[in-house]
Amino acid sequence: MAAADLNTVRSTIESRLATELASSPSIPVVFNNVSYSPTPNSSWVQCLLNFGAGEYLSLGGTSNSYNRITGVIVTNIFTPKGTGAGANFTIAKRIRDLYNRIIVSGVYFDAPIGPEVVSASPEGYFQTQVRVTFEFIEEL
Amino acid sequence: MATLRGEQGAVQFDAAGSNNATIVGTRSWSLTITKETLDTSVHGDTFRSFAGSMVSGSGTVELVYDPDATGQAGFLEDVVTTADPADATFELFTSGTATGTDSVSFAGIITDMEITSTVGELVIVSCSFVTSGTITSNLE
Repeated sequence: MAAADLNTVRSTIESRLATELASSPSIPVVFNNVSYSPTPNSSWVQCLLNFGAGEYLSLGGTSNSYNRITGVIVTNIFTPKGTGAGANFTIAKRIRDLYNRIIVSGVYFDAPIGPEVVSASPEGYFQTQVRVTFEFIEEL
Repeated sequence: MATLRGEQGAVQFDAAGSNNATIVGTRSWSLTITKETLDTSVHGDTFRSFAGSMVSGSGTVELVYDPDATGQAGFLEDVVTTADPADATFELFTSGTATGTDSVSFAGIITDMEITSTVGELVIVSCSFVTSGTITSNLE
């Protein structure tokens, strides 16, 4: 085996979300380090993926050994202000369903957290956040 | 460097006792070697004295369960060997996998196997063993 390619993991996770939100009704989605100017009174999603701690899982050096790598997907869901939470939670459900306890390409997604209502940033929207922790096993 | 970390070690095993191979996915091992003592005190002694007697060993090996990992199935299934002739061989390494170096080797019997499956956690296998016959220590 070989060291994990974190960019492949990132691509697996992000493409899943991009495909889902491209389907009807489509919602713009923005990923890390991508500029985006939201249209006022529109709905859109920001996806921030972070890798976290790695830990030894097994004995062994750089071969015949396992590591556990964890991470979190933070999705910020923005919908127009003053129109209630329904539209926002509908998008949140699509995102939850996308990752909820699913195993894709060796990535284990945990039960999602949220949607939690948070202070909107940028202002002018109703914002919630869905977070999904995940892990995968690196086989060296 | 004089100190070691656990991940530098390994466990090798062969159920038939001919060619030990590394068990991939080993998380930990432990070995306790015990020497019985014989009381050689005689009348008139004011301090008790002993002579060393039979030496035996026992320990555990813990695996991150992976049905495809080299060596795991043969190891954990050895517990169901009936009329076990203690022909299985073990070599427990504190560092590396060079036969006879930084290791303890012996023949033995796997006496317990416990496999644990818990929601949200990795499936873990824990095996206990006892040594049979000579224990060769190369922990130089």
